[in-house]
Amino acid sequence: MSITKLIQVENLTKQYENEEVVTKILHGLTFDIEKGEFVSIMGPSGSGKSTLMHILGFLDKLSTGVFSFEGRDVSQLNDDELADMRSKKIGFVFQAFNLLNRASALENVMLPMLYTDATKKERTNRAKELLTQVGLEHRMEHSPSQLSGGEKQRVAIARALVNNPQVIFADEPTGNLDSKSGLQVMKILQDLNEEGNTIILVTHEKYTAEHAKRILKIRDGLIVDDSLVTQRQLAGLNGELTK
Amino acid sequence: MLLKDRVQLAYSALIRQKLRSVLTMIALSIGIASVVIIISAGKGLEGMVLSELDIYNPNTLNIEVRIPGKGEQGSATGMASGITITTLKNSDMDEIGKHKNIDAVYAYVTSQAVIKYQGENKTVIIFGYGARAPEVETIELSEGRFYEPDEENSLSQVIVIGSKVKDDLFGSDTAVDKSVYINGKSFRVVGVLVERGASFGFDFDSLVYIPTLTLQKKMIGTDYVMGINARVTDMSHIDSTKEDVEILLRDRHDITDPDKDDFKVTTMDEIRGTLETIVGGITLLLVALVCISLIVGGVGITNIMYVTVAERTFEIGLRKSVGAKNKDILWQFLIEAIILTFGGGVIGVALGFIISYGVYYGAVGYGLNWTFEIPIYSIILALGFSAAVGLFFGLYPAKKAANLNPIEALRKE
Repeated sequence: MSITKLIQVENLTKQYENEEVVTKILHGLTFDIEKGEFVSIMGPSGSGKSTLMHILGFLDKLSTGVFSFEGRDVSQLNDDELADMRSKKIGFVFQAFNLLNRASALENVMLPMLYTDATKKERTNRAKELLTQVGLEHRMEHSPSQLSGGEKQRVAIARALVNNPQVIFADEPTGNLDSKSGLQVMKILQDLNEEGNTIILVTHEKYTAEHAKRILKIRDGLIVDDSLVTQRQLAGLNGELTK
Repeated sequence: MLLKDRVQLAYSALIRQKLRSVLTMIALSIGIASVVIIISAGKGLEGMVLSELDIYNPNTLNIEVRIPGKGEQGSATGMASGITITTLKNSDMDEIGKHKNIDAVYAYVTSQAVIKYQGENKTVIIFGYGARAPEVETIELSEGRFYEPDEENSLSQVIVIGSKVKDDLFGSDTAVDKSVYINGKSFRVVGVLVERGASFGFDFDSLVYIPTLTLQKKMIGTDYVMGINARVTDMSHIDSTKEDVEILLRDRHDITDPDKDDFKVTTMDEIRGTLETIVGGITLLLVALVCISLIVGGVGITNIMYVTVAERTFEIGLRKSVGAKNKDILWQFLIEAIILTFGGGVIGVALGFIISYGVYYGAVGYGLNWTFEIPIYSIILALGFSAAVGLFFGLYPAKKAANLNPIEALRKE
């Protein structure tokens, strides 16, 4: 695995201005994330971790500082280029799954490919392949309302992977799941990381965060700790824990 | 993103809201159908009105009396309220007939009377028509003949009757050579007109023709006429012939100021042009009114698109978070609006077609000389306008959707 700087963040700040009231969320963060890493961004609610994830996920813009992705300064990108980055470079897994209820599991997985040059056949084949990979080959035509929480999140993971992203962002991916389903999801993320995918996990739980290899702790918009996980939690295939 | 995918995306969204989509289309289609119907009806009316002029040859000059010094409208109103102009005489007609470019001329007077035959009575309009009238305008007979100049000059009591007059008085018997009575005078029927129906609110089947001179001298005791029709031989000189007639009549009537003319000379082209202008103007006015309903339909589209965008805020946020560009979202909603308006357009044109045909069918059944025509421009106008409405009214909601902040949009599940 080659070690290249995938994400470089220097002195990043973010503030919102609302009717001349300035709210500072992030107070100057500096860190790097390399390709192939599994990093948890951990902090209590209100710490700014979601805002950071939105900036790293090209959904929001920083106020000052530098954020470069694969050596490109993201602040120089226009809206279309940012959309292009979201399409090709990253995949999101959300706490609330964020699936389209009217569409089937297959269509949900295909959705990000709709905004690429892929043909319908390519989209269908790729989505089927990924749903099989997350163990949902028998659920492809089901709508999200017919799926359990764990199944929904696996659909969302398949969707995040569909365009072969450089990074997968998982924002509290186990937050709406029972512990067994949660562990299944963590197992998939760990397996994906073993296959070389870069994973950034956002969570407020220490236990969930410890599934990663490195934890960035954030509090009040500042990084308070950045260290490797010594006692890593490993999720088993059937949702049991193997230390 | 491929256009095919964009259209499919919009289509499947509309299918999910089938009832709403269909109702929106119907709302718009009513306006579009109205445009098609009104333009078609305008054409039908124009065809009907102009076909009434077909009995006159295009090389006809019409000279009618008018009230001097009043405008077109003032003169018409004056005559309707009973003012009679008595300056146009038989001798004027004789002089006009001497013009080298005029080869047939007749004068006309109208009156009203009760016509009697074997105890049957019928009130009719009497047209005093010169015997040469058939040379100037088309007079079709189902029986007998029109009277001859000799008969007019000898003040013969001969009569040509309308088809309805014939039916009412004679039933299925022949009328020719029978005698009818008007004001106690006996008239010999020489001809019966073919059925013509009504036009300009006038029943052409309930009239009778008797020679102008007979009517003047034996019935009403006057020597003036209401108008003269003349046929010109060389159509290319019709305008100069018209001027010659004007000069001649001014000279004979001692008029120096053309504004004080007690007559008006018109060519058939001018009458046709005037009627076309009137019908065209009415049609345009109605189309303009109907366009209001198109705008109402368009506002309906905007409204529905706003609701749709609001309902699907989460979907928009999600699409953007997985890589949809602003323009992808813009097109998604714009195409939905365009499909709605285009669908409304197609329904509207079809509806307009059917109703216009129904109007035509009804008008013909009512005995009107209506024509069925859907001008291609009315379809282009209706569809073009609806597409423009879709673009115009769909753009704003679509823009709103495209510019949504994905993070905030995702919170709206």
